[in-house]
Order: sequence, then C-alpha cells, then structure tokens
Amino acid sequence: MSTMSKSKKIRSFLAVGTVVLSLAVSTGQLTAAGLVSGNAPSSGDNSVGLGRSTIETPIYADDAPKVFAHAATVRDGLGFPAGANRSGKHVKDALQKSEYDEVDELDNAGRQISIAQFDTAGDLVAAVRLDIPSGFMVKATGDGASKAAERALAKVSLAAVGQAQVEDDPVAGGWNVHWDRVQDGFAVRGDETRVRVWQDGRIQSVAHVEHKLASAPVTQLTRDAGQRAVSGQLDKWFAGRGFGYAIQGMNLEWVGPNTAFDPAKVGATGEPYRLAWVANVQPSGSISDVVRLITLYVDAGDGTVIGGDVVE
Amino acid sequence: MRRAKTLLVSVLLAVSALGATAQATLAFKGEVWSNSDAFTSRCLGFTDTYPQQLYSLNVAQIAKLGYQPIGGAIGSGFTRTALLNGVFYDYAVYAHTHGDNYWAASGYPNVDSAILQDPGTSSCNNFARDAIRSSAIKSATYGSFYNLVIMSTCELGGGTSTMPGAFQIEKTKSSTNRKFYLGYVNSTYDSGAFRFEQAFWSYLNGAPNHQRTLYQAFTYAAGIGGYPAPDASNPFVANWWGNPNYNGTPGWS
Repeated sequence: MSTMSKSKKIRSFLAVGTVVLSLAVSTGQLTAAGLVSGNAPSSGDNSVGLGRSTIETPIYADDAPKVFAHAATVRDGLGFPAGANRSGKHVKDALQKSEYDEVDELDNAGRQISIAQFDTAGDLVAAVRLDIPSGFMVKATGDGASKAAERALAKVSLAAVGQAQVEDDPVAGGWNVHWDRVQDGFAVRGDETRVRVWQDGRIQSVAHVEHKLASAPVTQLTRDAGQRAVSGQLDKWFAGRGFGYAIQGMNLEWVGPNTAFDPAKVGATGEPYRLAWVANVQPSGSISDVVRLITLYVDAGDGTVIGGDVVE
Repeated sequence: MRRAKTLLVSVLLAVSALGATAQATLAFKGEVWSNSDAFTSRCLGFTDTYPQQLYSLNVAQIAKLGYQPIGGAIGSGFTRTALLNGVFYDYAVYAHTHGDNYWAASGYPNVDSAILQDPGTSSCNNFARDAIRSSAIKSATYGSFYNLVIMSTCELGGGTSTMPGAFQIEKTKSSTNRKFYLGYVNSTYDSGAFRFEQAFWSYLNGAPNHQRTLYQAFTYAAGIGGYPAPDASNPFVANWWGNPNYNGTPGWS
C-alpha cells in the first residue's frame, strides 16, 4: 500500500470516527469541522470577492459584427488556431472590476482554445492562447522573439512605442517582450503592451494595459520636496519603533491612487492616474523580517501620499 | 416481528443521520490563512490592506471550487500550531504572508522554505519564533494528498522552493494527478499578487461546471500583463507545478 493511499484511509478513518463521536454528542455542536476549522476573520472588511457577482450577457456575430470581425483579425494576426465554434459575451467582471467584450474560440468539446477581450471602446485588451503547446520543434532566439512580437502587434494594429524589453520567461521557457508606456516623459506604472512568446517563436498572448491620466499638476514638487514628504511620512509611521529606512530611489511616474495604506477606501473604484513621486524604501530593523520593500506614491502636485505598495 | 421492524427503523434512522453528517464531514476541506496582524499600524506604523483583501477573495473562490468547509484564519488564528494541526485534513491550502527560501537547519546549500505565522495581537513578526518550515508542514501532512496549494508570498514559486514538496507536489508541469501548486518566483508586490489572483479566479470560476483548467486560469492571469515590479531584477513572475489538465475541483486522485 502506498503512503498516499494509507493516508487517504487514515484521513477517512479519522473523519468517520469524528462523525461517530459527533453523533454521540447530543448537542451536535462538536463536529469534525469544528475541531479542525480555524478562526473567523478577526477584523476588517470581508466584502471583496464575496457577494458581488460577475454579469455576463451573450453577444452574437449578427448583433456585434465588429467585435467578432476584430476578434477574427486578432486570432489570425497572432497565429492562434481557429476553433470549431466561437462564442461571445459582454462581461461586467466584478473580481477584476472591468467591463469588456470577449470572443472565444472553442474546440469541438466546447473548451476554450483562445480568448480575445476588448474594452468598451472596442480596443484590444488581451488575447490569450489557452491550449497546451506540444513539443517545440524549433527554438527561437530572444531577438527572434522580439521581432515576432513586433510583427504580431502590427497585425493587430497595436503600436509598439519605444524600445522593447525582452526577458526570458522562466516558467514557460519562452520570452516576455514588453513596451512600457511613457507619457510626457514619465513612466505610467504598470501600463504596457506585453507579448508572451513561446520557445518556438509563436505568440501565446498579447496584452495592452492603458489607464486614463489626470492632468499633470501645474506646479510640480521638486525631488527634494518629494523626498521630504516621503521622509515625513516614514518618520511618522516609524516613530518610536526603532526602524530605520533607506530611500533607494525616487522617480516621477504616473500612478493609480490606491488603497494600500487606507482601509477606509478598500473597494473604491479606480481614479485616473496621477503624476507622483514614487519612492522605493528599504526598511531596516525588525520590520525587515516581514517587509522587504515599501513603495510610496506622493502626489507631485500637493505632496500627499496617494497610495503605494508593499513587498512582504 | 414488531421488534424486527423497530430495529430496522432504528437502523435506517441511524444510517440516515450518519450519512447526512458524514456527507458534511467527509467533504474536502480547504484552509485559507492570512497574516494580517504583522501588517497593521501597530507593527508597521501603517496598515497594509492587502492581507484582508486577499483573504476574502480566496475564501470565496476556493469555496466555489467545492472545497468545504473553508477553515484557516486571518489574524491571530493563523498560528503554526493551527496550520500544522489542521493541514492533514486539508485538500486545498492557501497562505498569504511573508515567505522565502531559507537555508535548512543542515545549512548551505540545502533549502527549507518557510512562511511566517501571524504574530498575534500583541507581537510583531520575528522569524525565529514565527517561521513555519516546509519540513514541518511535510511532517504534519503524513504524506497525504493535496489538490490545490497556493502560496501567495514572495519567492515560493521559485526553483529552489521546497514548499511544493511539503504537500507531495512534484515540481513538474506534467502531473496526471489532480494537483496544482501556485506561487510567485521573485519579490512580489502585494498589488501584483492581488491583480494576478483576481484574474486567476475570475477566469477559473467564470464558467459553470468547472469547465476550465487551472493551467488556463494561470495562463490567462499571466497573459493580461500590467504587473508593476519592485525592480528589474524582480520582474513579476508567477509559477505553477502540477497537472495542466486539472480543473481544480476536489477529489482523491
């Protein structure tokens, strides 16, 4: 008998034993679940992911010919296989807090082999090939992958602006080729056009992420003023705790105000991105047992902290 | 005759009661753990909101796959003892906390990955006190079978991670058993993990009857892009091991 099948039997035996025990307890309160379950949440908001549902409405080629035609262009342009069938839907995605039209290529069994998603303006947001690649007969180079990505973007009418960055994909073994968005000379944090390329040079996915930007502030905080704002916030947070910190870098970037440090705002809808000083802060002292990096966004206009991020 | 009828009715009632309870009790248990107390203003000076958001998201979505009951805890209930005592009964395990690939007790070059338990409401995290080593988890599993393990931490999706092995999940992408491990390779922003997991679950549970696979959900989430990274040496990279054809529903393989 293998170890696994032994443990299965032990788990079953223990569970049944607990059932018998719970039957013997007249109140019925002592159940196996009660014995092994953990605590309920001790604090905070539970609303995210609970009780909010995604709404999907079917769309058809007759009703939405542009969407289906665009999806066919994307499929063919990226070299995705044509499915035996296609289906479409309009999605209000509660988890991702987004709204899009999606056209799926389906195999004979109705399984998705690729999807293409378009935003409410009809622009491509993501196209992903979902089949499992079989053995790769040829091996592309990073340069070849970059060129394949550029050709793919041209075929789906996405502009590749600036210098491509090419990184090995340690998971799939191919490459990630991406063009990071820059507006008015400043990076837009997270916005990019990204192409994932399989080892043999075929395209696995294309994503285009672009957020709305607010107007840049008329008067921008200087770097020194931005750094003073960051230090002021950290000094306030760390007062009396014996933590140190080093500001590793500060850049002006367009960022999305977020709820990272403000529980009261969790669940709020996204605002346009704002120009901010972005500071990466390396904490030291006991805090570094649990936090590797804190990133702070300081509004480039008024110097307030409008969000950030944490690397645990 | 009357005694026989009475006995039969008694037996049927007992079996019925046992069956109903057994159905509930023999369900495939999931546990979702989130370290939140280490990320409060008491410990950091500010409150990181992601531990709560990730906990809520994953409790709801793992339940949708059919695991029940969903145990675990956010906050002070997430202790080494609670995790190790309960893990044997689990089929799905999720943890959001600090994680890394530390040297094993035997020293370099051996690795024994670890996550940190919640420090509780009167302490802050301390590695020596709070680490839950993969070797300790492995011992507590007694070699039992796990369907789905998600380590929402830094580093535990990397090549040196020993955490998959704690749950008897081999680091291959061609398993034929119903098993899947998900983790992040490098230092990872909480916002990156949250974006990835929202997309992952949106895709996976976005169709009825569990038609979609975990591999497809992973591929979709990895494909949508838009993940900020701490620096060029730490690009956002999620990784998986297990069975590419598995849809995530619980079951013995």
